[in-house]
This record gives sequence, C-alpha cells and structure tokens, in this order.
Amino acid sequence: MAARGGRALLALCGALAACGWLLGAQAQEPGAPAAGMRRRRRLQQEDGISFEYHRYPELREALVSVWLQCTAISRIYTVGRSFEGRELLVIELSDNPGVHEPGEPEFKYIGNMHGNEAVGRELLIFLAQYLCNEYQKGNETIVKLIHNTRIHIMPSLNPDGFEKAASQPGELKDWFVGRSNAQGIDLNRNFPDLDRIVYVNEKEGGPNNHLLKNLKKIVDQNTKLAPETKAVIHWIMDIPFVLSANLHGGDLVANYPYDETRSGSAHEYSSCPDDAIFQSLARAYSAFNPPMSDPNRPPCRKNDDDSSFIDGTTNGAAWYSVPGGMQDFNYLSSNCFEITVELSCEKFPPEETLKSYWEDNKNSLISYLEQIHRGVKGFVRDLQGNPIANATISVEGIDHDVTSAKDGDYWRLLVPGNYKLTASAPGYLAITKKVAVPYSPAVGVDFELESFSERKEVEKEELMEWWKMMSETLNF
Amino acid sequence: MGFLWTGTWILVLVLQSSPIQAFPKPGGSQDKPLHNSELSAERPLNEQIAEAEADKIKKTYPPENKPGESNYSFVDNLNLLKAITEKEKIEKERQSIRSSPDDNKLNVEDVDSTKNRRLIDDYDSTKSGLNHKFQDDPDGLHQLDGTPLTAEDIVQKIATRIYEENDRGVFDKIVSKLLNLGLITESQAHTLEDEVAEVLQKLISKEANTYEEEPNKPISVTESQAGKIPEKVTPMAAIQDGFTNGQNDETVSNTLTLTNGLERRTKIYNEDNFEELQYFPNFYALLKSIDSEKEAKEKETLITIMKTLIDFVKMMVKYGTISPEEGVSYLENLDETIALQTKNKLEKNVTDNKSKLFPAPSEKSHEETDSTKEEAAKMEKEYGALKDSTKADNPRGKTDEPKGKTEAYLEAIRKNIEWLKKHDKKGNKEDYDLSKMRDFINQQADAYVEKGILDKEEADAIKRIYSSL
Repeated sequence: MAARGGRALLALCGALAACGWLLGAQAQEPGAPAAGMRRRRRLQQEDGISFEYHRYPELREALVSVWLQCTAISRIYTVGRSFEGRELLVIELSDNPGVHEPGEPEFKYIGNMHGNEAVGRELLIFLAQYLCNEYQKGNETIVKLIHNTRIHIMPSLNPDGFEKAASQPGELKDWFVGRSNAQGIDLNRNFPDLDRIVYVNEKEGGPNNHLLKNLKKIVDQNTKLAPETKAVIHWIMDIPFVLSANLHGGDLVANYPYDETRSGSAHEYSSCPDDAIFQSLARAYSAFNPPMSDPNRPPCRKNDDDSSFIDGTTNGAAWYSVPGGMQDFNYLSSNCFEITVELSCEKFPPEETLKSYWEDNKNSLISYLEQIHRGVKGFVRDLQGNPIANATISVEGIDHDVTSAKDGDYWRLLVPGNYKLTASAPGYLAITKKVAVPYSPAVGVDFELESFSERKEVEKEELMEWWKMMSETLNF
Repeated sequence: MGFLWTGTWILVLVLQSSPIQAFPKPGGSQDKPLHNSELSAERPLNEQIAEAEADKIKKTYPPENKPGESNYSFVDNLNLLKAITEKEKIEKERQSIRSSPDDNKLNVEDVDSTKNRRLIDDYDSTKSGLNHKFQDDPDGLHQLDGTPLTAEDIVQKIATRIYEENDRGVFDKIVSKLLNLGLITESQAHTLEDEVAEVLQKLISKEANTYEEEPNKPISVTESQAGKIPEKVTPMAAIQDGFTNGQNDETVSNTLTLTNGLERRTKIYNEDNFEELQYFPNFYALLKSIDSEKEAKEKETLITIMKTLIDFVKMMVKYGTISPEEGVSYLENLDETIALQTKNKLEKNVTDNKSKLFPAPSEKSHEETDSTKEEAAKMEKEYGALKDSTKADNPRGKTDEPKGKTEAYLEAIRKNIEWLKKHDKKGNKEDYDLSKMRDFINQQADAYVEKGILDKEEADAIKRIYSSL
C-alpha cells in the first residue's frame, strides 16, 4: 500500500516534470503557450483535420481556418447567441456563399444539441474541413455537391452545455451533465409541440403543413423557449431548408418522424405521411455507417430495447415517444425534412476514438447530403414568368404539402414512383401534372399558374368574340 | 443477565462492523471542521478496518523490533499498536476494576466480548484463520465501557510506535491507507502529523540518551553513485548525503524534518532560491535562458515545479518508500531529460512530448502513466490559463501568444491562395486577384468582428497576412 502510494507520488513527480518540460519547452520559443503547442500538433494531423475535442475557442478557430482556406465557397455566420453568450456558429458551403440561388436546395446539419453528446459536434467540424479540402482537390462528388447545394453546418447548438460536459474530469463525463442548455432546458423537448396539433387535424380536418401560424410573434413572446431554440426557429423560417439532420449520441441509429406517439403511449410506430421517403433517407445515412447498419450489433447497453431498429433506422415514436423535439418541428412548421442520427453508444467518448467515428460516418454524412437531390423540384410562376411564392405543392396520396420559396422554387423529396403533383396558390387556378420519379436525380417540373383575374379576362374576351361572331352572323 | 449483555454487545459490534462492510463514502466526513473530537469519533472505525485488512496478511511478530530492522510491514506496525493498546487496556482494566462498582459486569463483559468478537471474526471473510493470538478485538481501541479512545491516546500510540520503530514510514503508511479509504481528509492527515510530531518530540526528549540509531541505508551507496555520470557525482552525492544524513540523524532531526516537511508541503514558493536547483545544471541553464522580465511568471512556475519535485523525492526517501538510489537516479534522469528535451525543442517542433516524459524507474505501471497523462493535461490547461493572463500584460501589438492560431490561419490562407491561382485561368489574374481578395477579406474580417465571429486581433492578423502577400 505504501509502495503503491510511493509510486503514485513518483507518477505525480513525473507529471510535474512533464509540465516542467512543457513549460521549459515553451520557454525556448517565447510566447508560445501550451495551447498553442496543441494547435501546432493539430497542424500535423491529417490534412488539417485534427481529431481532438474542440472547445468553444477551438471550434471558432477551426471554422475560421476552413473559411480562410476556402474563402470562395464558404462563409461563417451566427444565428444567435446561447444563454451564456456564445455565438451559435454556422459555416455555409456553396459556390455562392451568402446567397440563395433560385432552385438550389438548402441543407443543414446541426450537432451537439445535447451538450454532452459530443461526437456530432466534432464530426461536423471535421466535415467542414473535409469538404473544403476535397473541393480544392477536385473531388467530383464534393464539387458537384457544393455547386448545387447550399450546405449549412452548425457544429453546436448548445455550446454552453458542451463546455459544462467537457469540463468534467476524465471518466466522469456522464449521461446528464451538460445535456441541457445553461438554463437547464432540454433543447430537444423545448420546441412547440406541433405533433399534437397535426394528430387532431388528421382526425378532424385541418392543415397538414406549416402549422405554426403567426410565427415570429409567438416565438418572440414565448418565455419558455430557450434562446437557442428561438434562434433555430428563426433560422428555419428564414431559410427554405429542404433536408436536415440533427446529430445526437447515446445510441447508434437513424431516427425519423414522428417522434411522438399518436395515442400518447410510451412506444408505438407513428408514421408520418412521408414515411416512405423518410425510411429511405434514414437508410441512406445508416447504410454507410458499418456499426449502425450491422444487423448483428448488440444493443449499446444490455437492457436496451432496440426491437424497433431495422437496418440501423427506426421510427421515433416506435423507439420511444419524444414531444417537443426539433425533428418533428421542422417537418410540421416548414418544408424541411429532418431525421435524428444517434452516432455513438457513448455520449462523450474518449478523444482517441474520434478518428474512428469520423471514418465510420464520413461516407454517411456525404451520402445523406446527396439525398437532397431527389424527387421533384422546379418553379411556380405566373403566366408572365413572375415567381409565385408560397404556392402549395401537393402530392396525391401523401397528406403533406410543401410550399414554394421566395423565388417560386420548390423541392419535393419522393421515393421512386408515379405521382400527380398539383400546384396552387390563392387567386390562381391550380394545375396538376403527372410525374414519373426515379431514385435520383430530381425531376424538374415547373408550373405556370393562371390567376383568376386573368382567367376572367380571357373568358370575357372569349365571350366578346362569341358575341361579335353571333352579331355578325345575325346581322345585329 | 449475561445473555442480555452478550446480546447488546453483539448488537453494538454488529452495528459497528456494518460500516466496515459498507465502506463509507469519503464525502461523509470531509465537510466536518477539523476537530479533535471528529478525529476521535472516526479513528476507532478506521483502525478496525485497518486491522481487518491487516489480518489478511497475518504474521507472527514479536512486539519489539531490533533497531535497524528494515522489514516494516503494516501488519507489524498494527500488531505493535495492538500490543500497546492491550497493555494500556489491561492497565485501565485494573484501574476500573478497583474503582468501578460494576466490576463483575465488566469482567463478564470482557469475557463475553471476546467471545463475541471471535464470532465477528468468523463472519468476516476477509480474515484468515491464522493467528488468533493477534486477533484479539477488532475494537481494541475501545475502552471497556465502549467509548472510543480519544485522539490524544491514538496520537500517543502512533508516536510511540514510530519512536520505537524509528520509522516515519509507519505514520505514512497508516495515513495513506486512511486517505485511500477516504476516511480522513488531507487536512486531517496534516493535523495528525503535527500532533504525532509533537508527541514524538516529547518522547525523544524524555529518553534521548538511551536511544541510538544506525543509518538505515549503507553509506556505500555514495560510492556506487561515483561509478555513474562523473560530472554529476558531486551534486548528486550532495543531495544523497542529505538523504542519508537525514536518516543518520537522531530522531530529533527526523521529527523536525517531519514537521518541516509538513510545513514545506503546504508552503507556496515565491522566492528565487536556486540553492538546490544548482544541482541540476540543465534545468538551471534552462532557467537562465528564460528572460526574467518577460516571463517572470513562467520562470517562477518552473522553479516551483522543480522544487516541489525535489521535495517529493526527498520526502519519499525519508519515509522509506523509495531508496536513495532510486531518488537520486530519478532526479538525475530528470535533469538529463530536460537537456534532451531542450535540445529537441530547438531542433524541431516537439509534438509527442508525453512519450519522452517519464525517465523514472521502469517499474511504473500503465495506470500511473495514465494518471500522469491526466495530470500533465490538467497542468497544461492550467498553464494555458496562466498564459492567457500574461497575454493581457503584453501591450505591444505583436501577438506573441496566439502563435499557434496564427500559424493555422497562415496555413489556411496559403492553401487558399494556391487554389485560387490554380483555378483562375483568365490570365494576368495573380495581381488582380490578390488585391481583390485583399479587399474582400478585409471587408469580411471586419464584418466578422462585428458579429463576434472573429476577435479584433485575429482579424488584424489576417489582414496583415493578406497585405504582406
């Protein structure tokens, strides 16, 4: 016992010696701090990607480095501040950063919504760097993606929680500390619960999309919403996102809507109208992640119930009911389809494992990005060629409509099949078109809508002409 | 009547032994203020646990040790302690028999309690069947009426034991065991050390003339050191002499060093005392190379760390946890590695320091390396924080501190320019692009500063880099 104590002391001495050298080594190069040394170490990692945990300053630095390296295709912005004042940083990658090009779909990745679920945060930092590197190397897939998509990456929606979780020593990083935001709010239960409303509408009739009316007022006046939640809601309303993924940890599965059970029970498969495409989207992620899609993988913990998992995917409510989540909020308040990806059995795994998580997920992340170019897309315009914003595009047989964005552009994700699409807008006559949809790429279908007044004019003219003809014939 | 008493005793003993099995959490007692009564309330249990564990490694051992005996097993210490306690108890028993009207009861209790204690011994699977002679009673540190011995008694006993054994290691072993079990806090341990030291001094002053001590370690060690690196023999031998002298001295100086050691452990270094450090030529050279004005704090920290290290090693040697040779060789290796590291640092950017860090004896286990890694990481972070404060002190525009960050940015910008040059094929673009880029970057950098995405210094650095291209 004493000998062991002595050895522990020796070890401590060794540690102090270590520090002495680190400091001494620093002393040789005036001004370089220990943190700077770590950064230098980082530069020697793969291609500028350092597989280590990034705290808030390092996160910011990493994104700035990506921007500096790829100024032509990137831009950093912030959607707001966390409760403790940290910027909710987003890096955008596209061939024309900062601008929505009409017809170009918008994609987002959000990570670390639960501050102690750290893998998503890191993967997104790696992804940003990776996309920049690959673009510059001329990787065709990536170049195509960046030219045809506007990719938004938010590595951390809960930077405050992450700092709390990351500050825990060694093995004490646990299941709960740092999960919620600085106010103790679980952000993934904090969104307005639109599931309940849609379930009522299903039974009694009512809209099947964009269920949050009078949006900005409600959001700003609601005192129960965390600043992070508010920031995301504004973000969703400002940018016409089409596809999104929300990265979590604690299990290994791709989860799709609905997250809340219809009956209110603890688990029950609750499919949304777009169940088919969601299954396909979830599979597009999990299929490229070997452990996630491994049918023989044992559950993360011995008593876990993963009976709802199929091919590494699961319906949210079938797994367990989650009210007020961000995923369903996206689907029911906007045009954006979002899935929730659980990336790791351990919420905050050791730093040494980050590289292997990247290896497991990088193909999935790219594959999921590519899913945005599926289904049908196009423009809704009037007869003069002016865009019609907020037109409704409905698909026969699917009780969920999407709307066109400011430039009249719309995107409708669909699994392969034959569909009838109808575009309509108030004051316009609806038009229906038949479309055959392959797996990919997206089929272009444009609509030119005739307004009522135009139709009236046309009808009036036709009437006049008939009258003229009649009068000529009858010699009035 | 007897049965009733037996019953109560069983109850008392069971109640007292259940915490043993439950392994009390350290958090329980740490909030209590430092007080002798606290110490006395806890100690008996502690000793019980200690004894219970000691019973595992049973050895028959005579109560007195020959001086110079180097085999100080924990069991021996405790057995002696028990023997002492027994003696005392017997004395007290005699007293209580004379004075107490409950003579018979007590006697009966005594007989009965030993019976019960054996029962408990049986239940306790951790105990081996050997040596019932020394099993006497798990609560041997209780007085007959069940009240625990006071702290003073315990301190007295420990001091006596140390005195007789002439081994500070006794104390150290007991305390480290208790600390590990989380039964006492560090501060309580320190207080205990003080008290033991005091008592020990008293003992020594009482019988100083009758006691003689031989050095525990042979002086031939010095000679063996001579065979090693010649130029360091003198300084190393000097330190080592310090070690051996420490043990050569009478227990007087030992106790003094005991209390001194305690003080030094808690003292914070802020004096520029190079006395011992001059024995480390490389480290000394390193210190000299640090510009005192600019990096005073760094220098201080380095010195503090080095001194703490040296003191630790000295302490360990004194307590007998490592031999002087080990201590000396460790410190020697330390200095050598400093030289090596400094050299490497000058040659290239060191990245993998941690693998070169531990020159210490190869007996280090894997888990120690891990804990040191943690410690190193902790210290790194702390130092990072320290360094940040020094950044504020540096008023000049030149950003010495975030050099690593600037390097990263530089690298990124370089890659960007390279790519731009490659991809703009419209001829005569190089100058044009750069000036355009420069403006664009300046604009963006300012916008980012406004939005809180970049720091002012970072933006300035970036602008500077671009303007220099």
